[in-house]
Amino acid sequence: MEKQNHLLELCNVSVGFPKKGEKSQMNVVTHGVSFYVEQGEALGIVGESGSGKSVSMLAAAGLLGGGGKVVEGSIRFRHGEDSVALNTLTKKQMEGLLGDDIAMVFQEPMTSLNPVMTIGKQVEEMLELHTDIPKEERRERVLAMLGEVGLAEPAALYGKYPHQLSGGMRQRAMIAMAMILRPRLLIADEPTTALDVTIQAKILELLKKFQTEYKTTIILISHDLGVIRSVCGRAVVMCGGEVVEQGDVKTLFEQPQMDYTKRLLAAALGKGSLLKKAEIANRNETVVRARDYSVFYEEKTAGKKIKREVVKNVSFELYAGEIVGVVGESGCGKSTLAKALAGLNPLTGGSVDISCSQPQMVFQDPYGSLNPAKTIGWLLTEPLRLHRVGTKQQQREAACEMLEKVGLERDYYGRYPSTLSGGQRQRVAIAMAIMLKRKFILLDEPVSALDVTVQEQILILLVRLQKEFGLTYLFISHDMNVIHRICDRVFVMYQGEIVERGEAEEVFQNPQHAYTKKLLAARL
Amino acid sequence: MEGKMQNLDMKHRRRQSNTKNVSLTIGIVLVSVVLFFVVVGLFWTPYEPTAMSAALKNKPPSLLHPFGTDNMGRDVLSRVMDGAGTTFIISIVTVAIGLAAGTLIGAFTGYYGGIVDEILMRLNDTLTSFPSILLALVFVSIIGTGKYNIILVLGIIFIPSFARVVRSEYIVQKELDYVRNAKLLGAGDLRIMFVHILPNTKPILLSAITIGLNNAILAEAGMSYLSLGVQPPDASLGRMLSEAQTYLLNAPWLALAPGLMIVFTVLGFSMISENIQK
Repeated sequence: MEKQNHLLELCNVSVGFPKKGEKSQMNVVTHGVSFYVEQGEALGIVGESGSGKSVSMLAAAGLLGGGGKVVEGSIRFRHGEDSVALNTLTKKQMEGLLGDDIAMVFQEPMTSLNPVMTIGKQVEEMLELHTDIPKEERRERVLAMLGEVGLAEPAALYGKYPHQLSGGMRQRAMIAMAMILRPRLLIADEPTTALDVTIQAKILELLKKFQTEYKTTIILISHDLGVIRSVCGRAVVMCGGEVVEQGDVKTLFEQPQMDYTKRLLAAALGKGSLLKKAEIANRNETVVRARDYSVFYEEKTAGKKIKREVVKNVSFELYAGEIVGVVGESGCGKSTLAKALAGLNPLTGGSVDISCSQPQMVFQDPYGSLNPAKTIGWLLTEPLRLHRVGTKQQQREAACEMLEKVGLERDYYGRYPSTLSGGQRQRVAIAMAIMLKRKFILLDEPVSALDVTVQEQILILLVRLQKEFGLTYLFISHDMNVIHRICDRVFVMYQGEIVERGEAEEVFQNPQHAYTKKLLAARL
Repeated sequence: MEGKMQNLDMKHRRRQSNTKNVSLTIGIVLVSVVLFFVVVGLFWTPYEPTAMSAALKNKPPSLLHPFGTDNMGRDVLSRVMDGAGTTFIISIVTVAIGLAAGTLIGAFTGYYGGIVDEILMRLNDTLTSFPSILLALVFVSIIGTGKYNIILVLGIIFIPSFARVVRSEYIVQKELDYVRNAKLLGAGDLRIMFVHILPNTKPILLSAITIGLNNAILAEAGMSYLSLGVQPPDASLGRMLSEAQTYLLNAPWLALAPGLMIVFTVLGFSMISENIQK
């Protein structure tokens, strides 16, 4: 049954967590998961949140928290000539394997590094625990490793603490830690999800380098098909705790067999624009006109208040009925711009004219933007109550109609946000934003917190609503694909300035500014 | 099939919560016992709580007087039923004063921040840096003793703890996107503070209230024990304990009923609040 070149093989693995209170009852989250990874290959595991992709790998590494364990099936790892069943190992035996043979890299590099220990010491600890290399040589090895993962000036970095590093550097340090013992298997769990696109590309390159140069077997877990495609040769698609489909990345992505894979691909591969050329806005009516617009933040450094300019002298116009995307990396000022336009940040310079009163906004995190203490109905009628629109009965009716418009049923009226999924919450947030029929809506990363299949649905909804109500959107996103899919025009922001602007197609086909080119090149 | 599974699951969950919430059940039972005596005591007591009798002085518990009689020949059970009511009213009103004023102060300081917050919170710190009983003594020496004065004094002393809890919750909540959203929709500050944010402080307020009730009962007992609170011949739990102290050696039953009452209440409320917090 088992082939020689299978490094890791999961056979009918079901992972369960004990139910609260009753330890004997297990809540099974993956059901009979079977797949393997061959020596030296890069395997991708793709799926939405809650699909069981991380849990299966944590089970393999024996790192299941909360009393979780493998209730059925076996996980076999080839060790020398024979293979061991990882799920039957004792804690001590497992510790011997971890680091030496199996290493893991997690999503959030800030929390997976020890904040009170220097980078160098943390990497060195791996050598200290697993080898008997003398002290002087250990330091040498660490410095060489730090250089190898692309960190400049390893000697200076050795003594730095995690908080002194950027997200990308931290993730590199994590990889250095994982790779210093040259493990045979590296499990990377969403290693680039928390990073900017340009850095993401570099980290993925690094992983590929280890796979080709050291024949390290890589298992890459991601919800992002682009990431999987750029690194992996084979992929496993998971959904609801089960393996839906697996195979060669090329065949899997070009000729998917299962409906779920098709849906996942349809959502992610949506490359072309959702807009039709003929419908692109007329440019006669200006909705927003900004001249030398600057936005500041007050920062307290060493007791002194310092005004920091986050958005620097930008000038632009938005016309009625268009969708304008603002794209850039975190910290470039795009969200700050949106918040200032909405009036949430009073520290601005220059001038801005907005033709409609008080624009509305849809926020990134639908878990924070809906008041958890109120029902959906209350939330939707609140804007009407505040502006004394209609009678109670009419308000209720308007809210129900709006629910239908955003693709939810009327009986959501009495439900609380906590009973809704992320996508449903975002629909409610969008409904709230258009309740007042204001023509200008700011969308601050409205789909970034959602799963890919849901992202596409929300984008389609946004386009439909925009046509129906004649809205103008300013669409903030870090994701070039999303921007490409929905926007008429694009502003590219870099360090608080708009460095490139133009028709979406034009910018994507023929980018002028070096930074835009970099962003597009990093696109997977 | 699935329905059946769900049914089983529900049963499981119910049993789970029962076993897990033993302390909640005990808490509710204890508080119910206390409340039963208090409510009945409002309308009927076995004897007149203030009726004295020289013949019945310091009699040990008997069938006629289940908790005995005190040094004035008054029935201890009747006095406990009457006194517990007084203690309860004092603590409830005290907590209500603290809660109302504390929530107001906490909401404003937490929401607006800035210089007003700074001043009020330093005042708050000053108030809490003195032992509360000492503060109460100072207040009482200014405005005098008595049931109503005690309510006022304890109420004021309770304000800081509520203000602090509410303030910290408001500081967290005001940064959340739903508050920003409400602003964009055109909600005013007052509406955001008391319609949007306040309901979200409910879990934390509930536990603060139960803890507050406990502290108020103990504080009243303490104040009356020092003869600063309820004045004779009126009964309150603390007053009765203070009177019982003199005869603790030859009539220990005097302390039994009021003591048990306080223990039941405080323990009961603590157990309930612990479960609310979870």
